[in-house]
Amino acid sequence: MKKKIKLTVNDELHELEVENRRTLLEVIREDLHLLGTKKICDMGECGSCTVLMDGVAVNSCLVLAVEAEGKKIETIEGVAQGGKLHPIQEEFVAKGGVQCGYCSPGMIMTAKAFLEKNPNPNEEEAKTAIAGNFCRCTGYVRIVEAILSAADRMRE
Amino acid sequence: MRDLDFVGKNVPRVDAEVKVTGDAIFSADVTFPNMLLGRLVRSPLPHAKILNIDTSVAERVTGVKAIITGEETPFVFGVSHMDQTPLQTEKVRYVGDPVAAVAAVDSDALLEAMELIKVDYEPLPAVFDPEEAMKEGAPIIHEGIERNIAANPRYDLGDVDKAFKEADHVFEDRLETQRVAHVCPEPHNCVAVWDHDGKLTFYYCSQMPSVTRVQLAKALGMPESKIRVITNHVGGGFGSRATSKFPMDFAAIVLARKTGRPVKIEYARDEEFIFSTFRHKFIMTVKTGIKNDGTITGRHITNICDNGAYCDYGPVVTNVGGAMQGTLYRFMNYRYDGYTVYTNLPYGGAMRGIGNPQVHYAGETQLNMIAERLGMDPLEIRIKNAVRTGDETATGAILKSCGLVECLEEVAKEIGWKEKRAHPVPNRGLGIACGVHFTGIRLSPGIDADFAGATLIVNDDGSVNLATSCVDIGSGSSTALTQIAAEVLGIEVEKINTIFGDTETCPMGWGSRASRNTAIGGMAIQKAAEDARNQILEAAGEKLEVHPDDLDIRNSTVFVKAAPSKCLSVSDVVRFNRYRKDGQAVMAKSHWDAPSQLADPVTGRGNFSMAFSYGAKAIEVKVDPGTGQIQILDVVASQDLGKAINPLGAMGQIEGGVHMGLGFAMSEDMVLDDEGRMKNNYLLDYRMLTSLDMPPVSTILVETNDPVGPFGAKGVGEMATIGTADAFVSAVQKATGLFLTDLPVTPEKVLLALKKKESKS
Repeated sequence: MKKKIKLTVNDELHELEVENRRTLLEVIREDLHLLGTKKICDMGECGSCTVLMDGVAVNSCLVLAVEAEGKKIETIEGVAQGGKLHPIQEEFVAKGGVQCGYCSPGMIMTAKAFLEKNPNPNEEEAKTAIAGNFCRCTGYVRIVEAILSAADRMRE
Repeated sequence: MRDLDFVGKNVPRVDAEVKVTGDAIFSADVTFPNMLLGRLVRSPLPHAKILNIDTSVAERVTGVKAIITGEETPFVFGVSHMDQTPLQTEKVRYVGDPVAAVAAVDSDALLEAMELIKVDYEPLPAVFDPEEAMKEGAPIIHEGIERNIAANPRYDLGDVDKAFKEADHVFEDRLETQRVAHVCPEPHNCVAVWDHDGKLTFYYCSQMPSVTRVQLAKALGMPESKIRVITNHVGGGFGSRATSKFPMDFAAIVLARKTGRPVKIEYARDEEFIFSTFRHKFIMTVKTGIKNDGTITGRHITNICDNGAYCDYGPVVTNVGGAMQGTLYRFMNYRYDGYTVYTNLPYGGAMRGIGNPQVHYAGETQLNMIAERLGMDPLEIRIKNAVRTGDETATGAILKSCGLVECLEEVAKEIGWKEKRAHPVPNRGLGIACGVHFTGIRLSPGIDADFAGATLIVNDDGSVNLATSCVDIGSGSSTALTQIAAEVLGIEVEKINTIFGDTETCPMGWGSRASRNTAIGGMAIQKAAEDARNQILEAAGEKLEVHPDDLDIRNSTVFVKAAPSKCLSVSDVVRFNRYRKDGQAVMAKSHWDAPSQLADPVTGRGNFSMAFSYGAKAIEVKVDPGTGQIQILDVVASQDLGKAINPLGAMGQIEGGVHMGLGFAMSEDMVLDDEGRMKNNYLLDYRMLTSLDMPPVSTILVETNDPVGPFGAKGVGEMATIGTADAFVSAVQKATGLFLTDLPVTPEKVLLALKKKESKS
């Protein structure tokens, strides 16, 4: 069964016809061809497919595309503005928060939603924010450092 | 030597920007119009004869485009033993052995067809324990392999029996390690595309695409020129992608040929856990002779590797752990008996350290137990026995650089070893361990080569195209390699475009395994860059009418050393050189084979690697005796990496290595049921440390400037994880008084052991 939906992705309005049972992740990757959003587990256990839905970080593999009707979606492709990296992205680069890079988009989206809610976090809060995001390369050390450093810069 | 501009600097990763913006394309992102999805149909039984496979009903499912069975994949493959075929025709050897493959337009059709494929099996007696499998009369898994022993790697060096007689104490302990998964973020996947010319393009997340091409060509009976392997960004490898071929690869290739459409096969996460190989379970007995003054006289290690149903890297994994345990301390009497034993279980492969983390765990943990039994300081024992620069070890390794003692002293100082041991706090414990891993390897039996390749072109505008055989699987190797090229050329990092992972544009090399990219890949690049640099200097000398020896290059400017204002840009030199009669391009190539030797096939002795990286870990824990919960208070990790080409990247590798090592130590475990079905093949059930579980890590980089490697560099990635579990278990021992020998050491195990101890006393 298909349904027509309208959703805004990275400030662009899309009108799509989607099967009811398809996930937002599938529609983002397969219909909108935004491949930055990654799939590690496809069951809400890794955070790699995190996008912002009306500003809230969600696992897009756990959201049906039809639930995103009328919503504002932001994916990793929408984070850098006018060719300039967001401070979170810049700090991930500078602090060594990226290794293989497969978790990075989800990690950055989670961090973005978190810092918008809590602009002055301590280390424990930053660690808690990304506790649902899986990374196999870094041991999380430099990711946490990058988030804290981005917070400092964003407050300036 | 002049100051370095790029080497030794925290240059940001060359691929970081594309990775933080989502622009980086991984193999899993590769898609084609008209592409079909494929999947393997797997055996539900651990050991059974295949009587019949009926695909007729499944073929009628709408959307199904092809179904293949083993008759259409008559290819034999393997890493050390050619013991595998993609789809089984005669019998299955473990739960999950593939018997058929389907290609369909979408996953619904795929799943429906898979359920309708009817396979009749006749169950055979199976064996799930390697010690049982080695007994006479056990079920035979591969015809002709007696007692299921696929390989028996041995080292027999010096006189171990005499060493035990000369010792004041001889201890023998049995220790076990568990199966541990790589858990690559990017699941294993491939896309096979055939064109009308009979050419196959294979998109594949490989650690070694050029080896993949050779192996595919051999198995498929095709010329290498008709196969192109392309590897994009890779979402983690950790050894699992050094296995260059899986049944899925052949299935995708044959399905694509049969349908005339691109076919993609990608593991779901639950498949990824089981079918991408994993770290083997080892059962080890360690016997050590030691004198009253702490001198180790000799060691004998017996290791039974639970291989699973196929070899993959199993025999190499069994071998490497043995080699490295004879390369850490000064004792010259060493015997190692490895047994790679087939069982009716999923099969393991190479994983970060390739057998070394397991055997090191046994050797180092037993040494800590011995120290405790004899009332010695485990730090002092290690320093007393540690190998040093200039040593030739029992295994025949020649140590041109060795910072083991410094690594031990540094971690001890940083964690407060002496003070904390002098003033013990109840329920707290401090543990230490050290280790060694190679930088590239030659191990008998094998090909007598350990090389990397590079090609380098300087463009008109002074920018550089650099092609390497080394795939960056996330380790940061492309950045380190770019820094090496930049330093030699005098051209800035941002002007160098380093590419990898295409067999038609990149040179051949052994790829990304054995901690070899920075050092061996780096030497290939250094040689190519030196050649290109000389070409630039020659041409500039001609133009400036000075001798090339009087010139230098820095910041893309060629200048006269004695009169720097007399200069040309690299761009000007390249253009001058090219656009004239009988002109020349600035182009260079290099193939660098590491100066190591194949080991003696009988004794195992030989200088099997170009360099050896040493390291140490010290860990402090606090144990709650009421719950068995273990809190890690501090981790200090030191590593002798020769020279840190990129300190930030090296520290990131070590932190990640510690994270993986702690998982191995305390929580990660592939739990199998009685017939080898994995029970916890999901991320929430397979317990890895999360950001909240990860303790603080201090890293110490020890630079010993190896005389062989580029700018003194040695390998980093694998040593980073080795020793973590060993130090952790020792810390738990000090905190609880328990000698726990089998990994992982979980709160449950600690609590049960504490209760048992209590009831005895």
